Amino acid sequence: MSAILEVKNVTRRFAGLVAVSDISFTLGKNEILGVIGPNGAGKTTLVSLISGTLRPTSGEIFFEGSRITHLAAYRRARLGIGRTFQIMRPFPGLSVLDNVAVGALFGHGSGESDLAKAREKARAQLDVVGLGKFASQRAEELGGPNRKRLELAKALAMQPKVLLCDEVMAGLNLVEIDEVIEVLRKIRASGISILVIEHVIKAIKKLSDRLLVLHHGNKIADGPPDAVLSNSEVIEAYLGSRRA
Amino acid sequence: MTASRLGVVVAVVVVVAVLAALPLFSSDVIIQFGINALLLAVLAQGWNIIGGYTGYASFGNSVFYGLGSYGVAIAMVQWNLPFGVGMIFGAALAVAFAFLLGVPVLRLKGHYFAIATLGLAQVMSAIVSNIGIAGQNIGLVLPPLNNDHLFYELSLGLLVIATLTVFWLTRSRFGFGLIAIRENEEGASVMGVNTTLYKVLAFALSGVFTALAGGIHAYWITFLDPESAFDISLNVKMIIMAVFGGPGTVLGPVLGAFVLSAVSEILSSKVTNLAGLFFGVVVVAAVVLMPRGVADVMRQFRRTGWRYFAENLRAHRI
Repeated sequence: MSAILEVKNVTRRFAGLVAVSDISFTLGKNEILGVIGPNGAGKTTLVSLISGTLRPTSGEIFFEGSRITHLAAYRRARLGIGRTFQIMRPFPGLSVLDNVAVGALFGHGSGESDLAKAREKARAQLDVVGLGKFASQRAEELGGPNRKRLELAKALAMQPKVLLCDEVMAGLNLVEIDEVIEVLRKIRASGISILVIEHVIKAIKKLSDRLLVLHHGNKIADGPPDAVLSNSEVIEAYLGSRRA
Repeated sequence: MTASRLGVVVAVVVVVAVLAALPLFSSDVIIQFGINALLLAVLAQGWNIIGGYTGYASFGNSVFYGLGSYGVAIAMVQWNLPFGVGMIFGAALAVAFAFLLGVPVLRLKGHYFAIATLGLAQVMSAIVSNIGIAGQNIGLVLPPLNNDHLFYELSLGLLVIATLTVFWLTRSRFGFGLIAIRENEEGASVMGVNTTLYKVLAFALSGVFTALAGGIHAYWITFLDPESAFDISLNVKMIIMAVFGGPGTVLGPVLGAFVLSAVSEILSSKVTNLAGLFFGVVVVAAVVLMPRGVADVMRQFRRTGWRYFAENLRAHRI
């Protein structure tokens, strides 16, 4: 599997705190890569470094073979990197449909210039994530689970090549989680590579081809889900050492 | 086009036609009031682009106004150029200023942006006071043109163009980018909006209309000095009018400018001394009872009735 995204020795410091420390990994074409780790492990920072809302202190990031380490966020979006936010960032005053239309108007390849066509595309994405009947509501009126879906629809409307999902399942119940898993599988089937950050281990194990574990900003494991989850260092990071 | 939309379009066309014909059958006083109100409406509409649609509460728009005024004055007085060329010169100055200062200042958000722009007019006033070609702190006297009908129609034309531009914003990719920036700037940038460029372009567009209004005003009044050209209270006025009418709507700021101009005119002719106080009361009441402006009241009133005001009152916890 050839890599679409490559992260090479990336470090990010916030003053004294090293949020991400010398991390390297690749995301294969059409792969679903799960990233897990306890709170504060640096997962969201990693997504921000890739999507461009943060710049690394050192290290390099490559997308389809070209260096994007210092590219502005909007240019990465136009190259085909879409992301969702853990703390949802809808456009609260806009309708659900228009929230998604923004993704179609801009997004990958700098998007669709015609508003009516962008809205058409947006409507199709809303159906994919199951928000079709909320299209004309204002985004701020949506409840939690639907806001997660909206985040996903907005990113998808950009027609990205890589989708970075920051905890799209947090706060959902088991049925809703299964729905999201289905949606993500469909997205992958359409040819999009996905990096998923998640707390729900069961869900991410079911979904991912490969798992990456972060702990205190360091990568402590990278491999097939079963092997990674039985790794003693990973168990220790999550549960603490059995006996001191 | 839905029936209600068609109704709005027809109503707007009729209002513009009536306004255009107004000078034919009204007194000089009314025409002069009209020129002032129309120019204020242009300023409110110009502010609407950067403040209402992009979400950057600019206190620097009076700089654009001053640059437009001085553009016309310098071109006409010092270089003997026609008025039209002066207007273009003034607008060009505004665009240059928007790019030069917009790039650093638009990096700031919220209150920081407001405060940074608050200083700009003061600085420009001081700079212009020391420029020979701008008449230093004495100012410039323009060649008088005694044709209020012309100034009236020019102002009306400019307001129509500004409003059509804002209408275009609401259905263009560019306008959607601006709204996305207002609603959530980081969210907009990761979706592919070139936020820096869009903000500067919005600032410049806002500046062009403001400068053109300043240019018309300067030629009409025939005199300008640094203090009145870069007057910060004018900036406050345009914000109040836009917010009163409904920021981020196409017709709200125009409505706000007309209503408040009329109120302020009536108050200052009837109660003179207390006019300022009454004006303040009107503004406070508006902010408390209808924080999203007249435009929102008109949209919601049919559904909610008088409850609309009660609910806003409650939302303020008064």
